[in-house]
Amino acid sequence: MYVIRHALLNLGKNKGRNILLGVIIFAVITAAFVTLAIFNTTGIVIQETRYTLGRMVRVAPRQIVYGEASVSFEQFLSFAESEYVHEADIRESRTSINGIEAIYYLKQPEMLTNFEAELRSRGLPDTYSVVSEELSFENVTGNLENLHNLSLTFLVIVLILGAFIMVLLSAISIRERKYEVGVLRAMGMKKKKVALGLWIEIITITCICFALGMGAGTMLSQPISDVIMTGQADSINVNISVNAITVMGILGISILLASITGFISVSWINKCEPIKILTERN
Amino acid sequence: MKCLEIRNVSYRYEGGTDNVLKNISASFESGKVYAIIGQSGAGKSTLLSLISGLDICRDGDIYYNGKNMRKIDRDEYRAKNVGVIFQSYNLLLNSTAAYNITLSMNISDSNIKERQAKKNHAYFLLDKVGIDRETADRKILKLSGGEQQRVGIARALSHDPNVVIADEPTGNLDAKTEKSVLEIISRLAHEDNKCVIIVTHSKKVTAIADEVISIQSGQLLCKPMNL
Repeated sequence: MYVIRHALLNLGKNKGRNILLGVIIFAVITAAFVTLAIFNTTGIVIQETRYTLGRMVRVAPRQIVYGEASVSFEQFLSFAESEYVHEADIRESRTSINGIEAIYYLKQPEMLTNFEAELRSRGLPDTYSVVSEELSFENVTGNLENLHNLSLTFLVIVLILGAFIMVLLSAISIRERKYEVGVLRAMGMKKKKVALGLWIEIITITCICFALGMGAGTMLSQPISDVIMTGQADSINVNISVNAITVMGILGISILLASITGFISVSWINKCEPIKILTERN
Repeated sequence: MKCLEIRNVSYRYEGGTDNVLKNISASFESGKVYAIIGQSGAGKSTLLSLISGLDICRDGDIYYNGKNMRKIDRDEYRAKNVGVIFQSYNLLLNSTAAYNITLSMNISDSNIKERQAKKNHAYFLLDKVGIDRETADRKILKLSGGEQQRVGIARALSHDPNVVIADEPTGNLDAKTEKSVLEIISRLAHEDNKCVIIVTHSKKVTAIADEVISIQSGQLLCKPMNL
């Protein structure tokens, strides 16, 4: 219990160093949060778009073949009664070849093959195509895919850079505290308790930065996403949302960062003999 | 009663070629004050490091209450059985004098459990070495060398250890405080039955010692009377 209290008191005693460490952790968490939120949201939007377009099936003649029987409006309506169809939108259209625009929304995108087989058996000529709108998927979500991939790349860079800075800072910080560790060890504090104390300190800083980073990340995600999407052709409005996956992801990243620093502290303390530290200092 | 025993101990620092301590044997009893004297570099402080469990000897053995130091948990030994007064104090500089003492009590898993009771005991110990409550609540960084030395003494006594080891404990004290500290040390041995081992150059300290051990070039010159 005293180890926790000692660690928390130490936070206040080493303000300068802890604030510097906190600022860096905060920056890493905020950047990771923004990128992860954009990554997850764009991923969901892409998936939903693919699903929606995959379900949307257009039935239309490939070309006008004179003498061939065409499909009547009533026939198109009867196709909507298929068990695979969730709903249909059949209307007269001047722009389509046969004057009818027939769109069927399937219950599932993977029902397309069965649906086409059923239509053929019910007299749909081979001159008619049964095509899902998935083919136009890339045109619709191209920019979104770019944003999705960009956020992933940025996330990886942030994590690598963040981990590198944390390792460097921890190494410097632990050297500064060499004397303190030496005194505690000389007083008989066990290595694991000294390490636990240092770990509690970094975990506390990380928790505070996690809360602040979540707030800042929530505020920044949408404007950053908008800036990135601005000026892109066929842009889609993406409403960046913070879901459980994002929060869990950031939590994982925070624990990872704290663990990296904790690991460095523990491995350093394991090599330290109090007499060496105190002799060197004296 | 024999409390500490050193048998044929030799010690060489890592990377060193010569032994700092050469085949030393001695024993220390509870209820006595031992003064270890010798020139600088003779190996006095090294001997203190070994018997305080801060380091382990290469050759020979040290026994505490009949148990070989190699086989006991040295962290626990330092935390509970031995109180060390360092020449360079070795206190937590950013903490108050009182906190240094309560932390030592926490590490040793002191019998005093309540936080306020620990704090009161720390004030009591500090008062015994001439540190008032206001000074006790100041950070170590803001204390003079003499005050830090006295905090170091109070800390060494905080967990009621069986063995008190001191490296030049009165080196930074004025005559009045030195006298009171020597009285405390003497009482520790003669009234509280502790084993007190002091490295010193001070004649005032050797004057209160029951036995004086001299080290020169890593060897015992004058054997203690009981060997």
